[in-house]
Order: sequence, then C-alpha cells, then structure tokens
Amino acid sequence: MTHMELENLVSDYLEGQLDTVRRVEVEAHLNGCPECKELTATVREGIELCRSAEDLEPAPWLVSRIMRATVGERKATFWEQAASYIRPVLHPRVAYAVAMGVFSFSIIINVAGINLRHIKAQDLNPRTWFYQANRNGHLLYARAEKFCYDLKVVYELETRLRQLRQQSEPGKGEEPKQSPPAGAPAGGSTEGQQPSEPLLALVRNSKLEIGNSKLEARNSLPLRVGGPRSSSFDFRISTFDFPVSNSQTGSVSSVRSITQ
Amino acid sequence: MDEQPELVKRALAGENSAWEELLRGHSRKIYNLCYRFTGRTSEAEDLTQEVFIKVFQTLRTYDVAQGAFPTWLNRVARNHLVDHYRRTRKDRLTSSIDEDAGQIEERPSQIEGPMARVESRERRELLQAALDRLSPDMREAVILRDLQDLEYEEISQVLGVPVGTVKSRINRGRLELARVLKRMEPMRGQGTEP
Repeated sequence: MTHMELENLVSDYLEGQLDTVRRVEVEAHLNGCPECKELTATVREGIELCRSAEDLEPAPWLVSRIMRATVGERKATFWEQAASYIRPVLHPRVAYAVAMGVFSFSIIINVAGINLRHIKAQDLNPRTWFYQANRNGHLLYARAEKFCYDLKVVYELETRLRQLRQQSEPGKGEEPKQSPPAGAPAGGSTEGQQPSEPLLALVRNSKLEIGNSKLEARNSLPLRVGGPRSSSFDFRISTFDFPVSNSQTGSVSSVRSITQ
Repeated sequence: MDEQPELVKRALAGENSAWEELLRGHSRKIYNLCYRFTGRTSEAEDLTQEVFIKVFQTLRTYDVAQGAFPTWLNRVARNHLVDHYRRTRKDRLTSSIDEDAGQIEERPSQIEGPMARVESRERRELLQAALDRLSPDMREAVILRDLQDLEYEEISQVLGVPVGTVKSRINRGRLELARVLKRMEPMRGQGTEP
C-alpha cells in the first residue's frame, strides 16, 4: 500500500468502515511507516477536536434583535411599563438619596418643634422652621454649656471640700470627747465608726438641723465660680461639728448656693 | 421537546411569546452552527438573524409528520449557510484569515473554572483557525460531518453533490485539517506556555 492509498482510506479506517482485508493492509502500512502513523494520529486528533468543540454563548441581545426583525417591537405590558418606571428608583444611589432626604426632613421638623398632627399655617413657612430650628439649636447649646460649667463647679467644690477635710484632720484627734446631747439621732446609727468622709448637706441660715439638734457653723468658706458669659455661681461651704457617739465627734460640710 | 409542535402552533397563531420561546430554545445552536461556518461572531449573529427570519417566514411549511422541529430548523439553517457560504466564497479567498482573530468569542461559560475556560477557549480558537485555513468545499463538508454529525446522505442532500464526492471532500478536508493542526502545533505550545 502506498502513502497516497492510505491517505484515501484514512477516514474510512478511522470510522471503522473498511472491510477486514483493507483494514489489515492499512494497519500493516501504519506499522511500517511512522509518517503515515503520525498523520493518522493527527487526523484522529482533529476529528476528536471537532466533536469535542464546545458551544459558544451568543450575545444576550441576539434574541431581542431577532424578535424586532421578525415580529417588530413588542408592546410592553402594564406591569413591564410599571417596572421600567420603578427600576431607576430602586437603584441604590437613588434609594440612599431619598432615605437621606427623609431623614434630614424629619430632623428639621423635630428640631423646629413642629407637630405634624396639629400643624398650623405658619408652621408651613420655611422662615418659621429656620427661626425655630435656630432657637432650639441655641437653647440646646446653652444647656450643654451650662451642664459643662455645672460639672466644673461640682469638681471645684469637691476639690475644696477635700482641702477642708485635710485641714481639719490634724486637729480632730486632739478635740475633747463630747457626750451626745439627749435625743441626738445621728449618733446611734454610727456608733463605733469613725466618720472618715464629710457629709454633704444643704443648710439654711448657716444652721444644720439633724433631729432636735441645731449645729452652728464652725467655719465658713465662700466660693465663687465665674463663667465666661453671664453665668456666675456663689457658693458657701460650711463645716459643722456634731457628736456622733459618746466618745467621738464628727463633722459635716454643707454647700449652700447663694446666687446662681 | 414535546411542547415544540404546540409552540409552533401558537407562534403561527400570532402569539409572540411562543415565537420568543422557540427563539430562546434554538438560537444558541443555530448561532454556533453559523459561527463554525463563518468564524466571526458578528457575521454569525447576522446569519443567525437571517436564518430565523427565513424560519419565521416559512413556518407554515413546517409539517410535524416530516420530523421534529429542531431537525427542520437545522435543515433550513444549513441550507441557508451553505448558500451564503458559496455566495461569499470569493470574498473569503481574498480576505485575510487572521483579520478577525481578535473577535473570537469572549463570553466563556460561567459554570467552568478559569483554567477550564482558558483551555476550552484555546481549543476553540485553534479549531476555528484551522477550519479557516481549509478550502470552502472541504470546510463545509468537515463542518457538516464532524461538527454537525450528519450522515453522508444528509450532507449529500444539503450540498447537492453525490455521496462519493462528499466522502472524498470529507477525507481530504480531514487530512488538510490534520496538516494545519500539525503546523499550528508550535504556536499552540507557545500560547500555552506560562
């Protein structure tokens, strides 16, 4: 068998359509001819490549394009039209913008103090919104400022009280023991305890009333705390001595606000 | 597939949704057939559209007794493609084979992994490049036989030539395809090297 004869029979051989005699002749030639053997293998590879070729994915618009070319533009249904209007609104950016708008509007309404249930004609005026929002904003700021200064006063008072306690502690052990007055209510409950911390109480007219006992201020220390604007605070810190048991004395410091 | 005759009836009755369903069910296969003949995605899309326009116009001639709808559709498509292929044969012989190499399909399947998609795409490109180098007669015969799995008699009817001629063209086409693949082997190796 020649090379040319084998080439003419290679397809039939690979498809198994040769009779036994021809198939034996082809195989005998292939066993003795490396070139034809390689060619046959390559033909087989080509056929397998064709048969294993995978499909391509057509363009997504192809069906729509053919539909337009055959039946024309299809009229959209009511729901499809509605969906086409809603679809842009459902875009995340638009939804976020709308949500932020609603949120901002609700904040303005809330800050302006407008009651939507009992809305009045003047409430619809944006100038009213601005005025109310401006007023409420300043009030809020003033409250915050006052709170900060109140905190400052409290810490200042605590500092001063700590100073007073430190001043009074060295002489406390040298003071004579006092017998409790009759009917002193505070001594019984603290019997046997050393009052290490001064008590803070509000007093009137420099007198502290505990039960039937009236204690005069041992010393009194004025304190003034001024704010940067119009607010200033005058305080008076007083320390009272009073018996807390048969053998011990205690002290209480009070803070009285004079002006505010 | 049992719903096909019903869909055809509804499409013939003017129901656009039935025609659209037929389109969606068969456009992929027809598109791939067109792509094998042309080797160009844009031309394959145009040819797919032409095939379905022809099908839409001749849908009344379809007879269920003659066979299944896909068989009839494929026959219409193949006849149209062979006609088109012969009409444009001269243009193909004078045009550059590689001019459309960059238009080879860029839409791989979403299911396969990246490596499998790359390999699949490389095989596809190799096969298409090799088919592009065949002469038109051998090319259409190989496509109908090895890509469309038609019998020799069917190919003979489609091409309008004797079965012996079909066998000869297929054999010569396969040999030529093997030689082209052999020549492209170094390029293939270069393309797959990291």
